[in-house]
Amino acid sequence: MYRMLYIKTMNNKTYKLYRIGIAFFVAAMMSIAVSLDNTWLAVSSVVIGMIFMAVVRSKTRRIVDEREVMVRQKSAQMTYAIFAPTVGLGSLLLMLIADESNYFLEAMGIVLSYLTLFQIALFSIFLVFYNRKYGGHGEE
Amino acid sequence: MADMAKNKLKVLRATHQMTQEELASRLGVSRQTVIAIENNKYNPSLELAFKMSRLFQLTIEEIFTYEEDENEEA
Repeated sequence: MYRMLYIKTMNNKTYKLYRIGIAFFVAAMMSIAVSLDNTWLAVSSVVIGMIFMAVVRSKTRRIVDEREVMVRQKSAQMTYAIFAPTVGLGSLLLMLIADESNYFLEAMGIVLSYLTLFQIALFSIFLVFYNRKYGGHGEE
Repeated sequence: MADMAKNKLKVLRATHQMTQEELASRLGVSRQTVIAIENNKYNPSLELAFKMSRLFQLTIEEIFTYEEDENEEA
């Protein structure tokens, strides 16, 4: 499960360099698009950047090992622990401060609270799924 | 703080005249993982520990030592 995922030639350093290059290209194109007020240029630069990124990624010999998996798990866990209560409480606050003059705040609060509920529901579903997958439901 | 198993990976690597890169590729992990294990910042999985023991032809106990913190029980 934790084997390296080799994908052809390029190593990690070259991949990072290419990634920085693509990011600079997209940023430059975006700034030009903004200064020219050209939406199509902005959209096409983002799409081109995404295509380049996909090509570069497909040519990279990337290593995803158990430590990286653990790092990702911990980051996801921390993101959830911070994001869910922040957005949940934020949505509650928005609904409380909303009145007739700024009714859109209530709508935003409702949207955010549904988003939080969706996130919690997803988390719970995956929690049950992985708990079952890794033997958490077995009998003695 | 969580207990960390100590290991002799750095010493073993030196005795076998291996670079971190070589060891990493033979174990099938990244060089960063080898560095993290050598510095006792990351405890490898059982699977990786077995790979190490086979590579160096030693038992897992000869590579890793684990001492529980006595203060933790109190």
